[in-house]
Amino acid sequence: MTEPLKYKTEFAEEIYALENGPYIKKCMQCGMCDVSCATRNEMDFSPRELFMLLRTGKREDFFKANTMWMCSTCLMCKVRCPRGIPLVDVMHDLKSHAIRLGYTDPPQASFYQAFWQEILGRGRVFEGGLMARYYLKRGWSEIRKGFEMRDLGMKMVMHSRIPIKPPKAIRGLKGMRAIIERAQELTQKEGR
Amino acid sequence: MRYSFYPGCSMEGAAVPYLKSFEAVADVLYMGLEEIPDWNCCGATVASGVIGDYPAQVLAARNLALAEPKRFDIVVPCSSCYMNLALTNKKFQDDKHFRAMVKEALRAGGLKYRGTLKVRQIVEVLINDVGIDKIRAAVRKPLAGLRVAGYVGCQTPRVFPWQFDDPEQPVFMDRIIEALGATPVKFPMKARCCGSSHSLTKPEITTGSGYNIISCALEDGAQVIVTPCPMCQMNLDAYQGMIKQHHQLKTEMPVLFLTQLMAIAFDLPPAAWALKYNIVSPFEALAPYGVKP
Repeated sequence: MTEPLKYKTEFAEEIYALENGPYIKKCMQCGMCDVSCATRNEMDFSPRELFMLLRTGKREDFFKANTMWMCSTCLMCKVRCPRGIPLVDVMHDLKSHAIRLGYTDPPQASFYQAFWQEILGRGRVFEGGLMARYYLKRGWSEIRKGFEMRDLGMKMVMHSRIPIKPPKAIRGLKGMRAIIERAQELTQKEGR
Repeated sequence: MRYSFYPGCSMEGAAVPYLKSFEAVADVLYMGLEEIPDWNCCGATVASGVIGDYPAQVLAARNLALAEPKRFDIVVPCSSCYMNLALTNKKFQDDKHFRAMVKEALRAGGLKYRGTLKVRQIVEVLINDVGIDKIRAAVRKPLAGLRVAGYVGCQTPRVFPWQFDDPEQPVFMDRIIEALGATPVKFPMKARCCGSSHSLTKPEITTGSGYNIISCALEDGAQVIVTPCPMCQMNLDAYQGMIKQHHQLKTEMPVLFLTQLMAIAFDLPPAAWALKYNIVSPFEALAPYGVKP
């Protein structure tokens, strides 16, 4: 006989404290998100299952799951959830929390960090710069995979879809960074 | 009609044909566009996953603050940019605590936002401000007989469900396709996900979604797909070669920005069509309408 499932609240409390964390408490395990998700087949656990891992305190399984990283922000689950849980926004929190804790193995985590560096670096995102940062972070195996996409890259260049030169940084870059820093301080002050 | 215009990063890169055709079409329709000075990245679907929702929304709010002195509605062509700017603006207007927090952060950069603006999606503006009649009146070369799959994409109709259309089976863009003289096909995948930024990290997702979407358009007899979203356009157009490698795609499917098709129907000069940027050639499908390379 299998052991009855016991709720362990310690880990759950940590996640409920995130910006959109309280919404997770409303999940009634109906599975609407599972059937609505565009990338469910790629996920180790569906969002519904992920919330169950949270309730049962399975911290490692939770953070090692690729669920949040597979979310493509298509908003279908957010529109359909009968409990009104903004699942996409919850996934944002889980991604940023995972990065903060150092769970950054999935390639998407590197992509996100590369994208963010690109924003901080010039205020706008230049596709060439983004790809360079991403492949540098991922190392040789990913570069080799990227090489398989060289035909696509060549076509993009031939059709002038990738500018050769990056755009100039925005004039107010210093101000933009100051704004973000202040926002991050305020987040910490709120205990998130 | 005057608008503050938020082009977004993609219009400086992969979505150049969107920018060129939109500016030309906007001119014909007397939509005065004024680019928001020194705008920054909206954060895409990514910034919130690194620094959290609130700081990412503050980043988006910087653009609102920069646009406010002009007092025009902000028109946004890219679906992700629209999502971030519109959701931030709505939260700013509805949530007192959030408003105070955003104001305080903006102050660190010497900026101020009072929350007086509206953030508008391009297709919604074309329908509700410009109007279908005006669009129809601007058509010089009706695209009679052209069967078009209107690929709205995932975020546009779902940011505010039911505000201007059905979040799962939107029809508002089909009305523009009709106004151009073309025939919108049913195309039930019109608001399904294209695979988004997985195109770089896990291209199998993008090619799989792309295959399903293009097949659906083909089954319904479409000759071209049009979309208002830069990400959707790139994933279906630039990745179509890879889709063909991995799946049995019967034939090629040109993927245009909605505004490119409008520029053709308005009989604007070829520079406004901006078709040289399209990777899958649209010239065969559009030959009956005098569209040549």
